[in-house]
Amino acid sequence: MKTKAVPLKPSARPEQGANPESFDLRSPSLVICLGPGGVGKTTISAALAVHAAMIGRAVDVMTVDPAPRLLDALGLGADSSEPVEVELEGIRHARRGGGGSARARLRALRLDPKRTFDSIVARYAPSEAARDTILENRIYRNLSGALAGVADYMAMEKLLELAANALTDLLVLDTPPAAEAIDFLDAPRRLLELLNSRAVSLLGAPGGLFRSRLRMVDIAARAVLTAFDRVTGLNLLSDIQSFVRSFDGMYEGFSARAARAQDKLRAPDTAIVVVTTAESSRIAQAREFIGALERAGLRVAAMVVNRVIAELPDAAELSSARIAPSLKRKLKRNLADYAALKTREEVSLSVLRNSLPGGAVLMVAPDLGREPRTIADLAEIGSSLRAG
Amino acid sequence: MTLPRVLFVTGKGGTGKSTVAAALAIALSRRRPTTLADLDRRLSAAAALGAIPEDSTVVKVTDSLDVIAVTPRAELEAFIERIVPIRAISRRMLRSRTFGYVTAALPGLEAFLLLERLRIMGGDAALEDRYLVIDAPASGSAVELLSVASGVKGIAPAGTLNRLADSVDRFLTDATRFGAIVTMAPEDLAVREALETAAAMRERLGIVTVAAIMNCVPDLLFDTSELAALSPFGGHARLAVRRNAAHEQAALAAPRFAAAGIPTFSLPMMFTPVMGPGEVKKLGRVLDAELLDR
Repeated sequence: MKTKAVPLKPSARPEQGANPESFDLRSPSLVICLGPGGVGKTTISAALAVHAAMIGRAVDVMTVDPAPRLLDALGLGADSSEPVEVELEGIRHARRGGGGSARARLRALRLDPKRTFDSIVARYAPSEAARDTILENRIYRNLSGALAGVADYMAMEKLLELAANALTDLLVLDTPPAAEAIDFLDAPRRLLELLNSRAVSLLGAPGGLFRSRLRMVDIAARAVLTAFDRVTGLNLLSDIQSFVRSFDGMYEGFSARAARAQDKLRAPDTAIVVVTTAESSRIAQAREFIGALERAGLRVAAMVVNRVIAELPDAAELSSARIAPSLKRKLKRNLADYAALKTREEVSLSVLRNSLPGGAVLMVAPDLGREPRTIADLAEIGSSLRAG
Repeated sequence: MTLPRVLFVTGKGGTGKSTVAAALAIALSRRRPTTLADLDRRLSAAAALGAIPEDSTVVKVTDSLDVIAVTPRAELEAFIERIVPIRAISRRMLRSRTFGYVTAALPGLEAFLLLERLRIMGGDAALEDRYLVIDAPASGSAVELLSVASGVKGIAPAGTLNRLADSVDRFLTDATRFGAIVTMAPEDLAVREALETAAAMRERLGIVTVAAIMNCVPDLLFDTSELAALSPFGGHARLAVRRNAAHEQAALAAPRFAAAGIPTFSLPMMFTPVMGPGEVKKLGRVLDAELLDR
């Protein structure tokens, strides 16, 4: 049961960001930030979370691989895989003043894919022996490490766990950097397919080929795996087979969870946010993300272009300024230099604007001019988000 | 300075890694024939040179510079076509979901095939006395990619794969043949990630970082007294400070790399409304001059 939070004014600055025609943080119960690596996805996730808490909501933010300074800002340790309360000046003032929502709070955690996977296995394993068999399996240990896909799946899993908390209004989810948007959203399906794969489960089973109506492709897949095994001498086949077999009986639990995660992604109060920067290569990547999301039937609520060049000063100010002519020339050149970069950025932004999916808004987050290292910095980014 | 024939360019996302790789390829191609291997599916380094290679075909940019796209997917397809020689089946398999299971079930296979391909290309480069510049994945994934060889050696203590992994490993750790180049931008996070990447490669994988390249360095325009005089002009002062701060941030990085025994080179910020092959060519010339200097 969720009650609507009463909006409150953050103590320090006016709500430039709460433009209802742009992206409204009052309504969603889940915000998922997707995007290529290196665009500041974690920063934007945290900034959105801080801003939402400042306007009175009870927020959890799950980060993936945050920069050390951001970890410090959020008060997270190396080991914070459970939510940790974040101190927010603005909220304390508002509570004291009585004008705000008593619900407002911010908690942060970081995703630990390996630990989450282990705990799911423990939850669904029919026995302790079955659990240990899986945890010791070589394939499992490879899969549950840093490899692509598993972190995505685990983020989904953790998401369901956190979303079940009735005391939370909004969950903001940062995601692992992905080459493809769909990597993250598709992870549960891929993992399930692997676990349920006839080709894989029949591998190495003597006579298996004759007991089942296998398609040619399955036989080919088997041939590839067998050849790989022969070439490598790894004996992976038996490990893969026992890995898949050890999930027998757990499949139901997994697949029910995955279906719930898919429902959650498509829920009307879920907002998918694609984060990018204005460099042309990133914009191209972001557009591919949007295309993939649309093909998967997922609605993009907003595009956030991070670190855009802040508003440039007025050139006219310079002509009347009483400063040395040499300095004036330098200032003019400096302005012209950054104006050129701004032009480059504008071209990228207009490409993005023209390819925006229906219903999505384009937002820009002006460059702070420094690395965000405090909650105040995150609040500043959150409140300076504006329609682009 | 003397560089190994194979240069693996990596860096934090957003530091202009592909632009730097392209500029480096241009700079080196002024001395001897050079190939740029683009490992990125989007082929941004190739695009920075104004070339669009198809899968695994070589595209000539100039007489001494060509580009080739190398993707794990193509390497995997080649591997599967070798094993499943009936084309109709291998083709169908590549399109099928089963293919997805195979790659998921063999973690590291793609990465390993890619490294093996780079080793072979590196061998060819040495024989033909060419440079091979690799536009590699961003730093986190790059270290993961490079660690596959030693990882495979760990899980396959004997056999063909062990021998393959061993030769890949020897190639990667031979500083006369293979070197990493880390890219960064004048911001603390990017510098730190470059230092960490170089340290991870050296300590965990025995791979030498031969240079760090600082991209997007604005020239120093204002001195301290000028900045002080600017304080009444809010916006202009901030913009001036921003430029100077980036310049200083860049200058601070060099000694940190020098302490780790890594020379630093810098590329100017291109204050241009477009960033196309023409601009990249200019960066290539700057880098060429810088490399000749040492």
